[in-house]
Amino acid sequence: MHRLGGVGLAAFERQKQHERSFAELSTEISQGQVDVLHAQLAQFRSALAHYASTHRDSIRNDPQFRHAFQRMCTSIGVDPLAGPRKGGWWAEMLNLGDWQYELGVQIVDVCVSTRERNGGLIEMSELVRLVSKLRGVGGGVITEDDVVRSIKTLKPLGAGYEVIDVDGGKKMVRSIPKELDADQAVVLAIAQEEGGRVSEDLLVRRRGWTRERARAELENMLLRDGMCWLDEQDEEWGVAYWVPSAMRWDE
Amino acid sequence: MSLSPHTTPSGFLLPSIHAAPPFFTLQPKAETQALVTEQWTRLILSYARHRRLFYLRVEDAEPPGSDWDEVLRNDRINRRLPPSHLSYILDDMVSKNKAMYEPVKQTRSVLLFWRLPEEWAEVLHDWASSTAQLNTILTFFEIVEPPVPSQLSGIPDTLLRRAISILTKTNRAQVIAVSDGEGVRFLAGNVSK
Repeated sequence: MHRLGGVGLAAFERQKQHERSFAELSTEISQGQVDVLHAQLAQFRSALAHYASTHRDSIRNDPQFRHAFQRMCTSIGVDPLAGPRKGGWWAEMLNLGDWQYELGVQIVDVCVSTRERNGGLIEMSELVRLVSKLRGVGGGVITEDDVVRSIKTLKPLGAGYEVIDVDGGKKMVRSIPKELDADQAVVLAIAQEEGGRVSEDLLVRRRGWTRERARAELENMLLRDGMCWLDEQDEEWGVAYWVPSAMRWDE
Repeated sequence: MSLSPHTTPSGFLLPSIHAAPPFFTLQPKAETQALVTEQWTRLILSYARHRRLFYLRVEDAEPPGSDWDEVLRNDRINRRLPPSHLSYILDDMVSKNKAMYEPVKQTRSVLLFWRLPEEWAEVLHDWASSTAQLNTILTFFEIVEPPVPSQLSGIPDTLLRRAISILTKTNRAQVIAVSDGEGVRFLAGNVSK
């Protein structure tokens, strides 16, 4: 009887030989796949780069287009800001990284310069308005989305900038690292509705708070956090509290 | 509601903060009040300069009808600066050399430094030299009520004396006794000091 592989030491050697060949083949195939992948990636990159450079102006100037583009990047798992180089791996061809950083600097500028009067809390639309003013551009060029994204890029600085949601679908940006508790969020929401003004009675009436709770919270925001100002000449309540971050300042 | 700047009948542009109701209340938190005081100080001095007002008294915040009504009251939002708050602001202004109590030994009335005495000294010397009155003896009256109105018209005696004494120290003025009181002679002085 003759076995294909034979028997004895020679067969063992042959077996070894086969294994080696298979391993070589396997590496060759893997290498091929990696090469294809690299080629695809390069193609993708160049296509994306081409796309970015041809639509560069639209991306930089049209907020809707920019938003759609950012969304597309996110859905295919590409972060235009991430990458080995400063500002992202294609920042230089798009200059979008610089744009985002620039916006970040301006956000910090607005937050810091209004901090004394608003206690480090600014309403999103007010921030967008002031940043637009600083850039000398009209409304709608800078969107909330851009601001949120820029604030994310500020995160590594550890400055504690954060976007928070308050009742009524409003967004606020907090520029001092401080926890905002649930009661404060309620007060802010009421202040938003009232153009900045809140009172004990409003909290009692609208939210069913006890007078003590309302007073304690307002006193805290006034004295501890410096988030509101006192008005002792209020015609309706006698004493009212004003949240500067919820007031609209034209200047 | 929107807080916007407002132009008064006298042509002064009030900043938007003047339309904020809590701006008129003395704030219990020190940091907040510091900001309020700073804003009031700036507002008071620029209004004083606009209308050439030299004095501000706590009483100006009391009944309507004072020179300061446009600033110390805001009838559009029905707010006024209470005298106690004004008194606090005046105290702070004096401590920061933005004003001095005048007369001395009371705290209800201040002389405002919308120009510092040092700045008045320069204005005074520039006026004397540009009107070719260096080396002539001038009475205080001739400075305060010159035939041709100048920046110094109506300047309070206290401020004028402080300005002259500053010039005297750098040999740019000499106080001289004249028949009906005091006079002053301005000198070109040593420019390099």
